[in-house]
Amino acid sequence: MAKPSKEPLFFNRELSWLEFNRRVLEEAMDPTVPLLERFKFLSISSSNLDEFFMIRVGGLQQLFDAGKTRFDPAGLSTARQLTVIRRRTHQMVADQYDCLLKELEVLLAEAGIRRVGVEHLDEQQGEYVERFFEEEIYPVLAPIAIESGATFPLLRGLGLNLAVRLRPAAAAPHKQRYAVVAVPRQLSRLVPVPVVEGFRYALVEDIIGTFIEKLFPGEPVAECIPFRVTRNADMTVREDQAGDLLAQMREVLLERRHSACVRLEISDRASTTMLKFLKGALKVREESVYRLPGPVDLSALAALPKLVGHDELKNVAWPPQSSPLVAPNESMFDVIARRDVLLIHPYESFQPVVRLVEQAADDPDVLAIKQILYRTSENSPIVAALARAAAKGKHVTAVIELKARFDEARNIEWARALELAGVQVIYGLKWLKTHAKVCIIVRREPGGLRRYCHFGTGNYNEITATLYSDVGLMTCNEDFGVDATAFFNSITGYSQPVTHRKLEAAPLGLRAKLLDLIDSEIQRSKQGQKALILAKVNALVDPQIIQALYKASQAGVKIQLNIRGICCLRPGVRGLSDNITVVSIVDRYLEHARVLYFHHGGESLVFISSADWMPRNLDRRVELLVPVEDPDHQRRLIAMLNLGFEDTVKARALTSDGSYVRVRSASPEKAVRLQEVMYRTAREAAQQAQTDRYTVFEPQRPSSSARS
Amino acid sequence: MNKTTSTPQSSAAAGASRLVAVIDIGASGMRLRIAEILADGAVRTLESLQQAVHLGKDTFTTRRIQTSTVEECVKILKSFRRIMEEYGVTRPDQIRAVATSAVREAENRASVLDRLYMSTQINVETIEGAEENRLTYIAIHDALKQEKRLKKGNAIIVDLGGGSTELLLLEEGLVTFAHSYRLGALRIRETLETYRAPVDRIRALLDQHIRRVVNQLHHTVPVKRVGAMVAVGGDAQFAASLLSPSWADKRVVSLDLKSFCNLADKLATVPVDDLVRQYRIPYQEAETLGPALVAYKQLARVFGVKSILVPKASLRDGLIAEIAAGSAWTEEFSAQAIHSAITLGEKYAFDRRHAEHVAGLSVQLFRALQADHGLDRRYELLLRIAALLHEIGNFVSDRSHHKHSMYLILNSDLFGLGRKDITLIALVARYHRRAAPQPYHEEYQALDRDGRVAVAKLAAILRVADALERNHLPGQRAVSFEREKDQFVVIIQDGQDLTFERLALKEKGNLFAEVYGMPVTVRAGRAARSESIHG
Repeated sequence: MAKPSKEPLFFNRELSWLEFNRRVLEEAMDPTVPLLERFKFLSISSSNLDEFFMIRVGGLQQLFDAGKTRFDPAGLSTARQLTVIRRRTHQMVADQYDCLLKELEVLLAEAGIRRVGVEHLDEQQGEYVERFFEEEIYPVLAPIAIESGATFPLLRGLGLNLAVRLRPAAAAPHKQRYAVVAVPRQLSRLVPVPVVEGFRYALVEDIIGTFIEKLFPGEPVAECIPFRVTRNADMTVREDQAGDLLAQMREVLLERRHSACVRLEISDRASTTMLKFLKGALKVREESVYRLPGPVDLSALAALPKLVGHDELKNVAWPPQSSPLVAPNESMFDVIARRDVLLIHPYESFQPVVRLVEQAADDPDVLAIKQILYRTSENSPIVAALARAAAKGKHVTAVIELKARFDEARNIEWARALELAGVQVIYGLKWLKTHAKVCIIVRREPGGLRRYCHFGTGNYNEITATLYSDVGLMTCNEDFGVDATAFFNSITGYSQPVTHRKLEAAPLGLRAKLLDLIDSEIQRSKQGQKALILAKVNALVDPQIIQALYKASQAGVKIQLNIRGICCLRPGVRGLSDNITVVSIVDRYLEHARVLYFHHGGESLVFISSADWMPRNLDRRVELLVPVEDPDHQRRLIAMLNLGFEDTVKARALTSDGSYVRVRSASPEKAVRLQEVMYRTAREAAQQAQTDRYTVFEPQRPSSSARS
Repeated sequence: MNKTTSTPQSSAAAGASRLVAVIDIGASGMRLRIAEILADGAVRTLESLQQAVHLGKDTFTTRRIQTSTVEECVKILKSFRRIMEEYGVTRPDQIRAVATSAVREAENRASVLDRLYMSTQINVETIEGAEENRLTYIAIHDALKQEKRLKKGNAIIVDLGGGSTELLLLEEGLVTFAHSYRLGALRIRETLETYRAPVDRIRALLDQHIRRVVNQLHHTVPVKRVGAMVAVGGDAQFAASLLSPSWADKRVVSLDLKSFCNLADKLATVPVDDLVRQYRIPYQEAETLGPALVAYKQLARVFGVKSILVPKASLRDGLIAEIAAGSAWTEEFSAQAIHSAITLGEKYAFDRRHAEHVAGLSVQLFRALQADHGLDRRYELLLRIAALLHEIGNFVSDRSHHKHSMYLILNSDLFGLGRKDITLIALVARYHRRAAPQPYHEEYQALDRDGRVAVAKLAAILRVADALERNHLPGQRAVSFEREKDQFVVIIQDGQDLTFERLALKEKGNLFAEVYGMPVTVRAGRAARSESIHG
């Protein structure tokens, strides 16, 4: 590979991630975004940052502490990465609070929505809050007195706490006394306060602070300060999210069972005495302390938009449309047998997928259902349908991934319920996280057994399917059925992996397939043919894929990438990546679909996939790459890919120095917004289908899902 | 496969598809195939599963299968059973499970099979080399139907497995020789390991060792040079997938000999671990790859083969085709088995015309008596072959030629037939004259009851057929059958005098009367047509 300059070939992934979070925060700062949506973006930028500290910073910090020097592909040492990360995160946090305190809260106040301190309440409100404290809060609080720094309690990571400093006892005037009150998770952070007009709320920690002395009868409280610690994530989470760091961390981890504190966030009202005490007790370095001018943990503010109503401050709803391919009331089996169904969520409803599994559960001809469940909703209708199917004597197999971070407890709970119903539950593979999304239904039909498959880029979760942009493909094509079944047998451990006809799976052949596809464009370009790659993934980190793309660029292949999050590829560098452009879209729906297009000499190869282009996805996860073959479906996906590069409202382009700049249209009338166009197109198609149904006179027949 | 076969059994079930499962327990793993046999006879594969288990390693080094290995098999078989249950494949007639050399050669095979049956209710049968030959032939027949190279000139079909190699010789499209050899890729690997040779010597040792075995094999095959070699088995298919870009879309590919040999040499030197990594294949496949390809290479050389054909077919295809054919063997196989009997007969200078007439009549009688003997279609083939070979003992001496016929048959290979079937044929041939089956006849007594009864039923028919052909007439006689009161009447239409036959039947019809509970007589056909039972 030619190295045109001394510039590193890759961007550092942590910094690229911070750039992404910056884009999320920018949505919170954007005055064209409805106010309560800005509030949401702010809280998302905060919870994103929490995870980043827990997993990425935690990992780097441990490496650093262990004295291991490691250079990332961008050539940065661990120490250097930590320094730059710290500088940027301090700035980011400052920006978050500026945004909240100087902009959003001011604008909200104008709209009549106010956060109030307890001291500013009128008498009636004060009485209400006191009663609320007595009845709802006080009974669940458990203050812990601290004798010395050594006995400091192990606080839950990311939980909100109050540090209490008591006035010294008369007998020992120089001995400071401390206590910690953990704010229980079940208490909601925002407590609405009765008011004649508008909306007022107090923060639960402020209420506790006001009545704190009730917890320490007879002992005067000097100060009561909200704070929060962030710990290193536990092993299982880190295996998936920071496996790249893990290899060198193993021996270190054995020595350290307790995960260290990587960040201390504390209200800037804290006295120097208090701060010094906490830093010592938690063993936190100065640079890991974040003094906050406002409420600790902005992610808790996500609850506000739900509390206040005020639809005029929210997005205009874009309700999911019904797919024109799926007639209402028709059996999903008939629908799919007629033609492959491509669904683009959330513009198109997820309902057909739920309907498919529900009808499978109730259809007497269905023999078996096999499904991978990764993260699913509470009270998931799909889970209920699987249980029902098993109760009806069908063979139901569910692969449940317990390594789905943060959801483990919930997953275990309904996994047990499924087992009780007779479902064969398999808990993923050792070492590998099962990330592919597939559902197979085996049905006996007059012409023989037929397998119906659904492949998705998103989880079987009808709630997130209204918030994330994802693609799903339903088909009863024989080759897909054979492949999906074989794939399923391999992840359930029933068989060794076998060669697939159409699908490619990670960690086996997916990476090689991608490299082949890129290489094939290179060969065509060298022969003077047109060569083009369009890809939309959430992250591009994998050095091998990036190198292949560089090589393709140098061979004249035009490459357009739409990468929502981390991108370690440097676009537009002369002699390296002239032909590569990268955009990122952050809009109301989380861009989540992975869609790939290869020109392939005009043959148009289009794929959907569960895999991002990161080493973890290609090497340590079970993922799928699924070809989309119906030309109409291909056209829809290509159109969506192209829209990403035409967007002039929510798209930002990555520059060769790693910063992102907004893409603007020449005039506002020409502005294009991908998500809006997608919604409009879906709505028009749904309306057209509706009209067509009314104008085609069709005699009514009994439901065709009945046995023929 | 086998689309034209239409047995009474399968036509009764026309319109519905059938689900079947076949399991094959080989030297390095177990495989399950679930397939749907459609109403038109076409076969659709629904599931293909494979799991590694080192049975061959156990048997080929210690002669016994270790208990832990057996338990692994139990576990795998249970999981296979679960998948089969998903499709409702649970009846014995839907399932065929076979084990090849690794189990066959294990000293403790009986207890292993019992253990498998006890814990999974799956009855695994060990099959012999000859039966593997048959299944291989059936498996590839369909894929190779279009191959003109195999219809003209000579070719060998070689299925090189982990523990044994099945070799078929095709002359002008007919199987003229079939044999099973103890040449196996895993066996070679195990032998090599006992040498503990340094890595750089492995390739030479491999070549040397395989050359020796292949040369021995070459001696046994009646034709020394052939035009083409059909290489069956996973290793050959892997080579095809690397060498032939169109492999994925074709049922059979033709590989250039030179590139095949280069690949064999290249892969033989790659350590197994690297093969696993580089080609993403399971360990036990990587283990046999080098030895198998080198063996194919040397076979190709020693037989002077010009091209190597690799069909996409395996033992499991053969098993499924047999299930699809119902209780009969497939027609392709029957034709080849009959041909191999005729070849054997010629070797012993039999009277082919007489033999074929007797065989033809035997089959007609067998069909006419279907309701009485209740034997399935496989026995028809055994009877036909016994009839073809009943007089080959004359080659030795015409005194007690029936006994000579028996041991000649017992000591011959008949294409695709296992020991048990060959014994049945030999006994039926033996009882075509003189003494009826007696408990003190050693070979007869060694049979199980079903076998003994079948021999009696078939021998009774053969005797009648032989009696009717006493004249050794130039053409086969047109006959029909009728039941009258308590007797079975053979009606002969050719107007010849039947005195001779009547006498012969008196002498040879006793066994028939004993077995079928009615005497058999012969009568000349009248002008008024009597209703024939069967044609």
